[in-house]
Amino acid sequence: MPSDRIVERRRVFQQYKEDVKDRGKPFYPYAMFHDTVMSLVVVCVIVALAIIWKYTTPGDHHTTAAGWLGKLYDEPADPGTINFVPRPDWYFYFLFYLLRIFKWPNSVILGTIGIPTIALVLLLAIPFLDVRAERRLLRRPVAVIASILVVLSMGVLTYKGATAKEALGSELLAQVPHWAKTQGFSNNPTAIAGARLFAESGCLNCHTYLGNGGHNLGAPNLSAEGAKNKGIAFQISHLKCPACVNSGSPMPSFAGLGEDNLKKLATFLEASKGGK
Amino acid sequence: MATRRLTRTQQLQQTILYPIDWLEERSGLVGGVKYFLFRKVPGDINWFQTLGSAALTAFLVQALTGVILAMYYQPSAAIDPHTHQPIAYSSIKHITNDVFAGWLVRGMHRWGASVFIILMFMHMGRVFLFGAYKYPRELNWIIGVLLLASGLGEGFTGYLLPWDQTAYWATVVGININGTAPFLGPFLAQFLQGGTYINADTLSRFYSIHMLLIPGAIFALIGLHLYLVVRLGVTSPPWSKEAAGTGPLEAPSQNGRSGLVSPTARRRGR
Repeated sequence: MPSDRIVERRRVFQQYKEDVKDRGKPFYPYAMFHDTVMSLVVVCVIVALAIIWKYTTPGDHHTTAAGWLGKLYDEPADPGTINFVPRPDWYFYFLFYLLRIFKWPNSVILGTIGIPTIALVLLLAIPFLDVRAERRLLRRPVAVIASILVVLSMGVLTYKGATAKEALGSELLAQVPHWAKTQGFSNNPTAIAGARLFAESGCLNCHTYLGNGGHNLGAPNLSAEGAKNKGIAFQISHLKCPACVNSGSPMPSFAGLGEDNLKKLATFLEASKGGK
Repeated sequence: MATRRLTRTQQLQQTILYPIDWLEERSGLVGGVKYFLFRKVPGDINWFQTLGSAALTAFLVQALTGVILAMYYQPSAAIDPHTHQPIAYSSIKHITNDVFAGWLVRGMHRWGASVFIILMFMHMGRVFLFGAYKYPRELNWIIGVLLLASGLGEGFTGYLLPWDQTAYWATVVGININGTAPFLGPFLAQFLQGGTYINADTLSRFYSIHMLLIPGAIFALIGLHLYLVVRLGVTSPPWSKEAAGTGPLEAPSQNGRSGLVSPTARRRGR
């Protein structure tokens, strides 16, 4: 015997079918007219965006200058030069920014995998969590509040992701003498060369160092990395393959810098004891 | 004796109808299309309910512009001897600057992706607020979520294809994040990269996933999605006073059913 609730919802759906049959209107032309108008608007918006993208880009379009909607293209991919900003397309900004909230190494997996997976499972489960037949908004306070919170948090995360400041290599380079003084490695030319590489190679797009840097993707503060005394050999192997040393690290490999540069970077990191 | 000759009009009608009848007799397609077009929908549906077909339109724009781009795009990370830049990157530049209306097709594909994803989110919001995922439409909600995930997958794989710095490094980090997932993560990362590191094979692999695997899945899922929409019907807005199917469920009316066309039929008896 099906329960009362199941009998009731079957009856309601039967009623729905009868109501539509008796008093509905045909899809063509009524609904189809609305759909067609909307589709035309969509195509016009897409074409308009394409036109704005091209015609607001200054120069002859062979350069990488940015127009209102961003660059037509960036410099070609070069696994060897490491100065990059790991920035996804805008509709992934909420995920991208979510990773700033979590701190490596303990909880960053919550941001990378945990929360997105939970969100996806919840999304799939909605029809089975909310089994009432009620559809009127005023009588679904939980659903309404949940949807407002989701929209707000996605909006805020997207906005924060879009306006997240990127550290500029040239500005960071000017900080190197200050770093050397604070950390006390002014007399170590290898560490200073490493600090310059550190400033130029985009490390601070994710990491923070003495108040500079991006703190993206849950990357840790490296101001006192050397205080852990892990050794230069460890630092080099970590830079070559972060995930091999630190299981689950989303940091890309910096093997492309070459052995010499890696040694400089490692010396700099080991000399960073957190300052006075 | 009574072999009446057909008039010209009748002859013309027969000539036009013959191929349609021929097709109908052998496939039933004509009846299917008629059923699709002339099926009844509730009289109170509104503009919010066009978001689904708008997302479909955006997807079709992506499919069409994608086919055109595939005619010119070359998924190779090797260095072009003429431009001294990666071939994929050079082909994107070629499309943007040299091919007739190439900039328009590429721009439409680039921004159509954003429009497609926004429309899917808006459509999902509409379905959620209308409570349209409830019995008997649960399965269609699930298919919709899978479509959204596939759309985001298209966004992720397509982002790499211009093979510029932004694309490359966003993908490196994206794959590394995939790799952090428990159990499946490392395998997924290796599958996406076609190796332990991101390399030249990664590009052709992303290209294949982007233009064959996921679009195939999306077409199939859209087919199922629309089949269920036609089979189960479209819901009335929940606030509608003439909503189909409300009947005497929560607001009993005197004559036992609500009016779809004339709201006055739902006067409450005291």
